[in-house]
Amino acid sequence: MRMSKLRADIQALLYLLPFLVIYILFTIWPMIKGVNMTFYKWTLIRKMKYIGWDNYSRMIHDKDMWAAIGHSVIFVVLTTPTMVILAIVLAMIANRKSRLQRLYRSVFFLPSVLSVAVASFLGLFVFQPYTGLVNSVLHLVNLLPENTEIFWLSETNLSWIAIALITLWWTVGFNFILYLSAMQEIPDEIYEAARLDGANDRQIFFRITFPYLNPITKTITMLQIIASFKVFMQIYIITGGGPLDKTRPIIQLIYQTGFKKNDLGYAATMSYMLFAILLVLSIFQYWLNNRKGANA
Amino acid sequence: MKKRLSLAATSLLSISLLLTACGGNNAGNANNGSANSGNNGAAATDNANSGNAAANAGGGNAAATDSEEKVNLNFWTLFDGGDGANMQTLVDEFNKSHPNIQVKNTKLVWGEYYTKLITAVGNGNGPDVGISHTSRLPDLIDQGVVTDVDDVAEVAGVDWSTYNQNLLNATIVDGKHYAAPIDTHPFIMFYNKKLLKDAGLLGEDGKPVLEQSADGFMKFLETLKAKLPAKVTPFALSNSNDDPYRLWWSLYSQQGGNDIVSDDLKSAAVDKEKGAKAADYIQKLYTGGYIKKNDPDFYKNFQSGTAAIMMTGVWATGTWESTKGLEFGAMPIPKIFDQEATWGDSHTIILPVTKDNDPAKRKAAIIFADWVATNGQIWAKAGHIPSKPSVLENADYKAMPYRSDYASVASTVKFSKPSTKNWQIRDNASFKILNEVWANKLEPTAAMDKLQDGVQKVLNE
Repeated sequence: MRMSKLRADIQALLYLLPFLVIYILFTIWPMIKGVNMTFYKWTLIRKMKYIGWDNYSRMIHDKDMWAAIGHSVIFVVLTTPTMVILAIVLAMIANRKSRLQRLYRSVFFLPSVLSVAVASFLGLFVFQPYTGLVNSVLHLVNLLPENTEIFWLSETNLSWIAIALITLWWTVGFNFILYLSAMQEIPDEIYEAARLDGANDRQIFFRITFPYLNPITKTITMLQIIASFKVFMQIYIITGGGPLDKTRPIIQLIYQTGFKKNDLGYAATMSYMLFAILLVLSIFQYWLNNRKGANA
Repeated sequence: MKKRLSLAATSLLSISLLLTACGGNNAGNANNGSANSGNNGAAATDNANSGNAAANAGGGNAAATDSEEKVNLNFWTLFDGGDGANMQTLVDEFNKSHPNIQVKNTKLVWGEYYTKLITAVGNGNGPDVGISHTSRLPDLIDQGVVTDVDDVAEVAGVDWSTYNQNLLNATIVDGKHYAAPIDTHPFIMFYNKKLLKDAGLLGEDGKPVLEQSADGFMKFLETLKAKLPAKVTPFALSNSNDDPYRLWWSLYSQQGGNDIVSDDLKSAAVDKEKGAKAADYIQKLYTGGYIKKNDPDFYKNFQSGTAAIMMTGVWATGTWESTKGLEFGAMPIPKIFDQEATWGDSHTIILPVTKDNDPAKRKAAIIFADWVATNGQIWAKAGHIPSKPSVLENADYKAMPYRSDYASVASTVKFSKPSTKNWQIRDNASFKILNEVWANKLEPTAAMDKLQDGVQKVLNE
């Protein structure tokens, strides 16, 4: 018995080996190499100089880095809850038995198929002053007096709103699809029984639908937090991190440090900082899910 | 046991997921690098023997070598649009007239060009010939990406005195020539003739009626604002980054302001009084309503005929020319302060470091570079000012409108000092701080203090 177990393990390992080799070679090894980089002054042309913990102490005192992390956190706070709540609402709309069901599904999901460049440029067209859709509409309905403009993309707070709205429109479809499929897993009998017992819509949602969606909600929230933390491209295209670097997220700072300032060692150090943050969040999520041992 | 294993596996998996975002860029670059290196490698082996043979045969008899052995050059450029097409024309013409030197033009995306160049050269897979902005040259030299060209220039018989000395001097670092400048692309002023006429500000000669002084230019704008419909922008300019910075640099230099970096390139040396005066003047253009606030696209504004004047680099000339119904003129930016000066940069042809620094290739490369400069009339189509005064006398060049109206600017361009940090100073200090001034969130004098600190910080890093 014991022998065959061992054999089975060896067999499994053999099957896994090709993948394992590639995984170690292209994922684990670069990660170790990356940690190594953080101890060097390392340029694109690979002029390297060992500088010990300098990159780390520089990072601790780097106001720009903390600001950039702050901006990424702002983005996470702005988008995660809205992204989850809106996805549920949209999924509920699309899950209703209605003739428009198919239309809803495609309309809600459609923006997700756009590339980040397309989505961002649409965002620019919508929010830019003088000719943008939002200001034009506001002018049209006289909410905005003539000869005044709202500068969505050049005021810090407004540009956050613009960026968050564009991202929301563009990416909510993915969460929506996850919720929709989860909702369809909930057996109809439960709803029927609830109706027979005289439950109203609100009760049905909070007592049945939402609890059933609990596991998927946790998953979506975590995925969303990680995705939002990694925000870069749409901000880069829409505001370039401005005004005055006030919307520059940590990934953009890493990119600029590595490839524009030619300082790969320090960029790597900041990458591991971001990595540490995401790791802590992931572990926290893992712990949260396993606390009662029930939910997957 | 099992649980721990799965925990380890999950965390490894999530780690790799998290890291992929940061790795993306790297991978992209690496791919491109290797793709290019493939081409290069093939070209290199083709030539390895012939190149060496030529070098050996060359010796004292340098002039003969290029008629004996065929040399293939790999040329990386960062031009797109009209610039890209003009450079391709130049390369084709060169290949036709030089059967023994064949240049292969590889167009890279401008935003990634320098990163790729540096990485490729670092890997030993760089091109034989490349392009660099004059302002970027010191950084490339410092990193060991670019070689000096004095030896090959001598062998190939390049006559440096045929170049505009202002442009040439900006490419000399520590007494050595590092590049052949092919143009300068300074900051100039464009004007809409129709609108100026409407405002009564167009002279008989088709040039603006404008007194060249601080008050004169302000009055000029005031008249435009008063006489033209409210929808017309007197002065189209962006509200951030490059172009207002270029204007600031020009006005700062017009007062004789020192470079913002000291002569030894080690410390910030902002001439605060002059800098503040220039910044204050430009700030008033924004707050006075002469420049449209947060104009989303000031090029389009001018192009569609809703802006009276605009300032940007000479490269816009080609664009305006091909715009139907746009009657425009081009001229040097007004002399607002004491002396004529403007912002400008140059495209130069460089010889990156290669694995063997093959003398035959290097010689062919400098012949090519010098030829491109000599045939600047093709390059000038986009609007650039050719780097050789002789080209300005060329009939083809003279036949092109607008160019001669601003060709004189080449000698008044104020280049920045050969600091290795030029681009970082620009992006991370100058732009950032001056943008705040244009947004009226920072006083010009306070901005100069900040600029001094910002430049110093970049230099220290």
